[in-house]
Amino acid sequence: MKPTIAYLGMTHLGLVSGIAAASKGFDVVCFDPDPERIATLERGDLPVVEPGLPELLAENRERLRFTADAGALAGCGVVYIAPDVPTDDSGASDLGPIRALLDRVEPALAADASLVILSQVPPGFTRSRQRSGRSLYYQVETLIFGRAVERATQPERFIVGCADAAQPLAPAYRSFLEAFGCPILPMRFESAELAKISINVCLVASVSVANTLAELCERVGAVWQEIVPALRLDRRIGPYSYLAPGLGIAGGNLERDLATVIGLAEREGTDAGVIRAFLDNSRHRRDWALRVLHAEVLSRRRNPVIAVLGLAYKEDTASIKNSPSLALIAHLHGTDLRLYDPVVPASAANAPRAVGAADPLDACDGADALVIMTPWRQFRDLDPTLIAGRLAGRTVVDPYGVLDPAACRDAGLIHIRLGAPLSMLGAEADA
Amino acid sequence: MLEHHLSADSRPERVVVLGASGFVGRAILRRATEGGSEAVGLSSADLSLLAPDAADRLAALLRPQDSVVFVSALTPDRGRDAGTMLANLRMAEAVGAAVGKVVPAHLVYISSDAVYRDDANPVTERSCCEPSSFHGMMHLARELILRTGVKAPLALLRPSLLYGIDDTHNGYGPNRFRRQAAKGEPITLFGGGEERRDHVHVDDVAELTWRVLARRSSGLLNIATGRSVSFREVAELVVSGFERPVDIVPTPRANPITHRHFDVTDAIKAFPDFHCMDIASGIARVHGEMVGRGHG
Repeated sequence: MKPTIAYLGMTHLGLVSGIAAASKGFDVVCFDPDPERIATLERGDLPVVEPGLPELLAENRERLRFTADAGALAGCGVVYIAPDVPTDDSGASDLGPIRALLDRVEPALAADASLVILSQVPPGFTRSRQRSGRSLYYQVETLIFGRAVERATQPERFIVGCADAAQPLAPAYRSFLEAFGCPILPMRFESAELAKISINVCLVASVSVANTLAELCERVGAVWQEIVPALRLDRRIGPYSYLAPGLGIAGGNLERDLATVIGLAEREGTDAGVIRAFLDNSRHRRDWALRVLHAEVLSRRRNPVIAVLGLAYKEDTASIKNSPSLALIAHLHGTDLRLYDPVVPASAANAPRAVGAADPLDACDGADALVIMTPWRQFRDLDPTLIAGRLAGRTVVDPYGVLDPAACRDAGLIHIRLGAPLSMLGAEADA
Repeated sequence: MLEHHLSADSRPERVVVLGASGFVGRAILRRATEGGSEAVGLSSADLSLLAPDAADRLAALLRPQDSVVFVSALTPDRGRDAGTMLANLRMAEAVGAAVGKVVPAHLVYISSDAVYRDDANPVTERSCCEPSSFHGMMHLARELILRTGVKAPLALLRPSLLYGIDDTHNGYGPNRFRRQAAKGEPITLFGGGEERRDHVHVDDVAELTWRVLARRSSGLLNIATGRSVSFREVAELVVSGFERPVDIVPTPRANPITHRHFDVTDAIKAFPDFHCMDIASGIARVHGEMVGRGHG
């Protein structure tokens, strides 16, 4: 008989994971102590934007029970602790809510239920919560905003932290994990906790390399996008490596892991200089668009109007935490702005001289420059000729290269993207 | 990073420039006058900051509404030794004591990029301070004296290499190259002049100082163009202003090549509509002024 699975904390991670578990044929209890949040979910309103999630919810609705009643957990064989862990501006995690949730629900669980911490916690946390007689695990989550459904339904592997990795997993927990058909990697609590951080640090390392070399490309006449395919064909680097340059680390999770490593290194006396360098590079690249805009427009035109497409920190999400777009807008406080994002309202930018546009081309109307700060798919379909027809100026700052550079050139636009030579800078003023 | 204490520009009631007869002090005094403030310039002839009673005498001149710009220093051409550094620190001690007695509305200190490590590239306001010269150590120590003892909003400005028509120094760079060319002498480079530096026109330092005064800003800001060029390029730009040919002469290299670049993002954030003039425009301006004065 299949165990009933419970997810506690109906924020991004818990909600997507719960619906994914139901899609594997398990009955799932989705618990949150906030009755209003539960009522919203009961109505079928999803508080997060994830491609495919509404459909997956609709297909598996009969196996999902949303509740604010902790008593509903008594019949569950596997109980996941899954609320998002809040971080402060320095990236430090606030584990208080996780501790409080554990304290509240542990007495309500069946004696043989497996308790699994899915929320990300630092090394040492899970062992500190080990209680006699309870099978406790830490499972690494690999949620990616905008790809959360794919990651939750088709995981590459399960990384499971155990009190003793030599002991077999609890049968109910094992049977649940096996339903996903991917490798299961048991290891010590501390190893699993650090494995999660290690994954993110490796990703940051790749992106930092891409950022460093892309900036050099901009100065020496090379094009990073031409170099990337050569790297992907190198087996030591790999076809899926993170080599797209960006505007610094955003979203909060990666910053949290870097802060955790620095904190641990300071406590343990190990070297974390390279992690600080990643953060410095991230800070430097975050302001790329501001520097380009300043060189092209702000220092050359009186009272310029800037069109900004994209406010979310990345495509397919409504999250604006550490959004490069909002960071840019914060430094354009004296500039007239026309803003558009498919899901984030212009009011989120909190910019006094900003107006929200009805669509991307409406945002371009009369603007001296266009900046595309989030690579939403719908922006890729924009016709540069139409953009050129609506803009008053010719400058398009497109860090992620969502528009085709050749098509922009043909439309008479000056197209500036990460990793491509900046030799066109100043061309507009000189033209 | 600077913090503006005024949300919009506001002309300071009175600007007192300490070191007003120097190259930078004169430019700042001129800008403050153009801006409509009452501008009071004090030089060492008016008030020696090395005098035993300097703090009391300066305090007697200050008013609580004043915006004070502290530029005075014994520059490296007056001495590169520890004694010069200690004299400069005594001057800062006197200024610190004076503004302790009469707290002004605002204090701006003109420091230097010499406070940074030689290899801090690109230099930002967060770069490591590890001066390799007494001059750099002096500025860093002066900053500390002011940071710890001054109650007024304090702005520390760290300009890169400066040039301008009135520069009395003859350091390696645009000023010396122009004088050599004007005399019909060849321009002598160290090695091939490969080193890249960020050269700032003194009028841009004056303009940014004025903007800092007008917003009563506190904190730290580097002053640089954000575009470094080689000394060879500088020499070629200088030569391009002269009709007669001027030789640019390389010499055997005695020291390794070093570069210095600035990331000027903090300046962009503080004053988005400001940008420093580029080196070509700056050298052309200086050349025009030189011709206008009947030299060259």
